[in-house]
Amino acid sequence: MSKTSGKTPQRSWAPSPAFVRAVLNGHGALGLAFAAVFYLICLTGTLSVFVDEFRRWENPGAPRMEQVSPDAVQQAFTAALDQAGPGVEHAFIHMPNSSEPMLRITTDAAGKDREWYADADGHLAGEAHQGWTEFLTRLHINLQLPRVWGRVLVGLAGVAMLSLLISGILAHPRVFRDAFHLRLGGSRRLQEADIHNRISVWGLPFHFLISLTGAVLGLSTIIVAALGLAVFQGDTQKVYDLFVVPEPVEDARAAPPLDLRPMFAEVARRSPQGHVGFIRIEHPTERGGGARFDVETAPELLTNVDVYAFDRANRLYYEKPAAKTNLGEQILGALAPLHFGWYGGAIVKIAYGLLGLGLTYLAVGGVYIWLARRRDKGRPAPVWERVWTAIVWGQPAALAMAALGALAAPGMAALPLGLWAGVSLAMLAAATSLAPARLALTGRVATGLTMLASALIHGGLSGVTDPVAAIADLTIGLAGLALAATLFKAFPQGAPKEQPLKAASTGGGNR
Amino acid sequence: MSGMSFLAVAAAILAGAAAGTGMLRRAWQSKAGKTPWRMGGLALLAFTVIWPAWPLGPVRGPFIAITLISLAAWAVVSSGYKRRPAKAQRAGRESLAPEPAERLTTKWRTTLRWLLAGPIGMVAAMAVGISYTVWAPGADQTRLLIGALIVPVVWGGAMAWTLADNRIVRATAVLTGTAVIGFGLSMLKGFA
Repeated sequence: MSKTSGKTPQRSWAPSPAFVRAVLNGHGALGLAFAAVFYLICLTGTLSVFVDEFRRWENPGAPRMEQVSPDAVQQAFTAALDQAGPGVEHAFIHMPNSSEPMLRITTDAAGKDREWYADADGHLAGEAHQGWTEFLTRLHINLQLPRVWGRVLVGLAGVAMLSLLISGILAHPRVFRDAFHLRLGGSRRLQEADIHNRISVWGLPFHFLISLTGAVLGLSTIIVAALGLAVFQGDTQKVYDLFVVPEPVEDARAAPPLDLRPMFAEVARRSPQGHVGFIRIEHPTERGGGARFDVETAPELLTNVDVYAFDRANRLYYEKPAAKTNLGEQILGALAPLHFGWYGGAIVKIAYGLLGLGLTYLAVGGVYIWLARRRDKGRPAPVWERVWTAIVWGQPAALAMAALGALAAPGMAALPLGLWAGVSLAMLAAATSLAPARLALTGRVATGLTMLASALIHGGLSGVTDPVAAIADLTIGLAGLALAATLFKAFPQGAPKEQPLKAASTGGGNR
Repeated sequence: MSGMSFLAVAAAILAGAAAGTGMLRRAWQSKAGKTPWRMGGLALLAFTVIWPAWPLGPVRGPFIAITLISLAAWAVVSSGYKRRPAKAQRAGRESLAPEPAERLTTKWRTTLRWLLAGPIGMVAAMAVGISYTVWAPGADQTRLLIGALIVPVVWGGAMAWTLADNRIVRATAVLTGTAVIGFGLSMLKGFA
């Protein structure tokens, strides 16, 4: 409340400078504490939006089809069981759809997954390559840590992002006055602050959505445990039972492979307009086997899956049409599509990719603002300038190298992780001797050359027939070329000039 | 909906979003007569969120619109960038946010502050989420899911607050009280 002499006191809604300064302190501390984790999660999350396209890129020769007959699915399923050998616990059939028009079958025996593509007649067309896709999604979902701990850490990062959104709004009293300011050049701190604030404010709904859904997906284990403890006397299974499809009655006696064809017929009768998208098969060679069919119905709905579960005798023991799901089940079904942008085709994926890059830049720019502020105040942090530059440009290089490794040696599952870790550590080691400008240049050029090599090797050797894989090659190649070309921009006339923080910019390091 | 129809709807959303954001920028640039541009821009953006519900679906449409509006807004903001001369370092200082507060603190206060932002905030948020689940009306799954959505939002809010609030004892009392009351209320009723 501000007082003006002789006038009625007027209420001021603007937060006091002391409040803003206190909130900024918390915003900065939290942002710095999680900066590297945010950056890694956002960068890999942006790439994970295109996981279907990457899978096609890794398997450019996989047979494509718009639809497939139940007979062909049955043949491919039994052939996959033969290949997998005894002890298959589960099988998963990914039916062709618009973003991945292929028939893909996964088996899980003694915890080991194997995956094949099949043609439209049901003949297996070779084992699927998924080294890069698997590596990327695991890095995003659990940071390649033990599953529960990794997911909790990622969920915690989601909560911290929500917290930063809240404190960012509170710490920005000029949000309307500065709404369209974008001043580049001049003061590095002002430039980074403008970019940071404009990306944040205009992308706020997206940032909130991604953080919230990511936090819930990551923390689901803890939340379910707490709910189970508090409301079901510690029995967390009761919470899961409310959401998951029940399994058929256990009977471990051996039996021939499950026959899916009568189930297809029953599903077609019950959901004549539907499209079978996914089949999960429990214990396919046991008497206690069963299959769950996910049938996509109304494409205009976010949660549009009718679920039917059959036992070995083709008895329908569970049925849940999308139209009969309640709000909670619809929210649960919408979490992953909303988080990854898998609900509106290529346009939404591209939009998520661009917005994801913006979110990634928030992590990058936030630290640069802190570093520039320190420099402005005569307290530069040169070590942190080098470390942060090594992280910012080390991760794209490490990810590109992991992709190239998966491409070159698809049978070596651990290679992408090893290459990613090796390049990340090498960049951090380089930070002990290289200045930020050289580090940034090294990272950019390494990323660019690796991407270029990936595109050329992939396009040249694998005989790409899939248009999506060809577009991926072109995109990767052009992006790689653009990054590698910064080498020539950095050396227009002889040796480069070192400008510690100024030249360490991300993307515009030589302005 | 065919691919071309979807593309047309997306283009219309982007056009509406760009026009709405452009009107807001016109209001922002004007010295007088801002209100019609501001109201018009806000109305157009609101309309752009709502109308895609019909062609694209009641939930999917607005979510697609919100996503594309952010992109269009970035494009409008980027189109108006200003390049400043390298010597303009000092002139822009007045536009900077205030300096973050520099607290005189101790090790135990710092430790307590991060405990409040982390595990204690989480427990308080769980208490709020579980109380909602226990007390709110509706289907079991709905109560559980909304309770689960409440947890990160409340935890995030608690994190923002405790890291900013200089009065650490107050933050401790409020979060502890929230946890006790939340779990207490939950135990009173149980899950039915």
